[in-house]
Amino acid sequence: MFILKNAWISIKRNKGRNILIGIIILIIACACTITLAIKNTAVDLIDSYKNAYDKEVTISFDRSNMMKDFDPSQSEGRENAREKFDNIASYTISDVLSFADSEYIESYYYTYGVGLNGNNIEKAEIESNNNMPNGFGHGKENNISSTDFTLTGYSSLDAMSEFINGTYTMNEITENAWDIAFDGNYVFINQELADYNNLNLNDKIVLEDEEGNTYEFEIIGIFKENEEGNGEPMSMFSNSANTLVTNASAVTSITTSNEDLQATINPTFIIDSYDNVEKLQDEFYEKGLDENFVLQTNEEIALSGVSSIENINSFATTFLVITLIIGGIVLFVINMINIRERKYEIGVLRTIGISKVKLTMQFVSELVIVSVVALVLGAGIGAVSSKGVSNSLLESEINSSNERTEEIGKNFGGPNGNEGMPDRGNRDEMRGKGMPVVQAYDSIDAVVDMKVLLELLGIGLSLVLVSSIASMVSIQRFSPLTILKERS
Amino acid sequence: MADKEKNNYVSKDKLGKNFTHKKQIVKNNEVKDNKEMKEKNTSSKDIILSIKNASYRYSDAEENDYALRNVSFDFESGKIYAIRGRSGTGKTTLLSLISGLERCTEGEIIFDGKSLKDRNLDKYRNSDIGIVFQSYNLLPFMTASENIILSMDANGLKLKNKKEKAIELMEKVGLKETYADRKVLRLSGGEQQRVAIARSLSYNPKMIIADEPTGNLDKQTETEILEIFEKLAHEEKKCVIIVTHSQNVCDAVDVIYDLKKVAK
Repeated sequence: MFILKNAWISIKRNKGRNILIGIIILIIACACTITLAIKNTAVDLIDSYKNAYDKEVTISFDRSNMMKDFDPSQSEGRENAREKFDNIASYTISDVLSFADSEYIESYYYTYGVGLNGNNIEKAEIESNNNMPNGFGHGKENNISSTDFTLTGYSSLDAMSEFINGTYTMNEITENAWDIAFDGNYVFINQELADYNNLNLNDKIVLEDEEGNTYEFEIIGIFKENEEGNGEPMSMFSNSANTLVTNASAVTSITTSNEDLQATINPTFIIDSYDNVEKLQDEFYEKGLDENFVLQTNEEIALSGVSSIENINSFATTFLVITLIIGGIVLFVINMINIRERKYEIGVLRTIGISKVKLTMQFVSELVIVSVVALVLGAGIGAVSSKGVSNSLLESEINSSNERTEEIGKNFGGPNGNEGMPDRGNRDEMRGKGMPVVQAYDSIDAVVDMKVLLELLGIGLSLVLVSSIASMVSIQRFSPLTILKERS
Repeated sequence: MADKEKNNYVSKDKLGKNFTHKKQIVKNNEVKDNKEMKEKNTSSKDIILSIKNASYRYSDAEENDYALRNVSFDFESGKIYAIRGRSGTGKTTLLSLISGLERCTEGEIIFDGKSLKDRNLDKYRNSDIGIVFQSYNLLPFMTASENIILSMDANGLKLKNKKEKAIELMEKVGLKETYADRKVLRLSGGEQQRVAIARSLSYNPKMIIADEPTGNLDKQTETEILEIFEKLAHEEKKCVIIVTHSQNVCDAVDVIYDLKKVAK
């Protein structure tokens, strides 16, 4: 008890020095609070971004592996490459279902494409136009470019990435489109195809395969493609002009009825962690995936939106470290001076039998008392100051995610943003595309939370201990009699 | 207050008395002499402190460079001792050894039957002995009573009213109650030394060790301070050890121990 009493007496006695120490700790605490608040907010935002993007894995063709032995200068090399290329085993929908049965996969969706010809509609094209065939691995139209239309079936809303990323925007849609879109023979068609064939909503179109089997579909929506042209300089129509969008089960029923039809499947697997991708790839190979295919993740895309926040986070960390180093050094030096000034006092107290431990405790107590007061004040000032900075950071993110939500809603055919969102697909599923998870941070008052305060307390105590090393070492080294003799 | 005045060691009518003793002067010239002295002193029954062949060498000194070598003295309760010697004879070193500020390199010091090697020296300093310095060594930012109370705190003394006890001790060494709340820097040298003595008495130690306690004082005050020590020894049966080269002090003590320079 007398240690605290002496500490308090010393604090009162050395008002000037303790106020100086207090101001330094207050500045450090203030800077730390602001930095920690920004840092924690940034980390939360990054986490929310990561969570907002589902951890997706897709199967892609490993071109580098395929081409590594290819020597284009030799005809033999080209032959070998062609042979190798032809021997690559593709995967079927049953393979995809088998792949999806994995402990690392949370959910999956896929697009299923098949090429068909028009029976009562014509392909949107100008005959003189040279429609170049698509190359291997060119999206969904692989191997089906010789037919008039590509019928693409989506297994769920999540799979409709072209609508989510804004490549397609719904122009017209029937009232109950999203209630029935995944259940039967319904299609969304391109506005250009609709214009070309004078088609409207609820019209029926008939497609046929090469064997003459026909398949009837009802138009429940008309979309437009926002990317101009199909990459061919002379094309009048967009890339998706002859793409018919339906559900995966509709395509499955067609491929089941005619097994000779060539179909392509593009699965997307939602995994629990990016860390398990290699294990998952090995599992896929064991289940029969050709080793010329590899798994690719969307991690880079998921993190691309947070690079600016990452930068703020890094800057905050650097600022915090520099503040602590400079603050720690200043406090250490002040304490060194303090100890030198108080050598006589130490000598007297040691001589009358106060142990080194108790004496050290007294000096540390003095610093702790001053620090606690300064930390509380610093945390308060920091909290008020950090609110503005962190909130502006947060608000811009909320605004951008709101804008994105509205945009996606419009893409799906809604006139006023969110109103266009399909009920059936539920919005949680859409979350994965940059959806408004960030909006959970509307309660931006809680920037300086318990976590920040605990971190600040930890930093404060660490600083006190570091700067107390001077007094601890000095008290151990000082010989009381020598001190007192020097004084005499 | 009247009772307290009776106990006051500096009552003027007693000043100057009891200074005539038959002195015993012991020298530590050689080990042989020390052995003789030891045999002589062990006959006493009230030995409170015994120094046995104590040597001290600073940690950075060469192997044979001792600051103090083979010193053997005994100290009895109820007597005043003077340790004298010229500069470099190891007076301060001996003081630091018997006050528990340093430990012997060789030999041992036994206090109240127990070697200092086995004792907690902090506890020894704040319970068994009181130390008084030439330059008083009071904390200048504290009042007289606060300095005394600090010593009680260091001892862990449980008292309801420590200030009252501090005032009592101050009166015992000839300081009025009004001095209690004065900062020590506002007191004269003699008054500060009285506060230092009162502080050393705050937990009623068995031995008082004083390093040139009258070195900064005038003759009159020196006499008064010495009388306090004499009373403490002869009436309260404390052992008082004074390190000094003052002849006045040597005249006032019961036993003088002479220290001679250590031969290299």
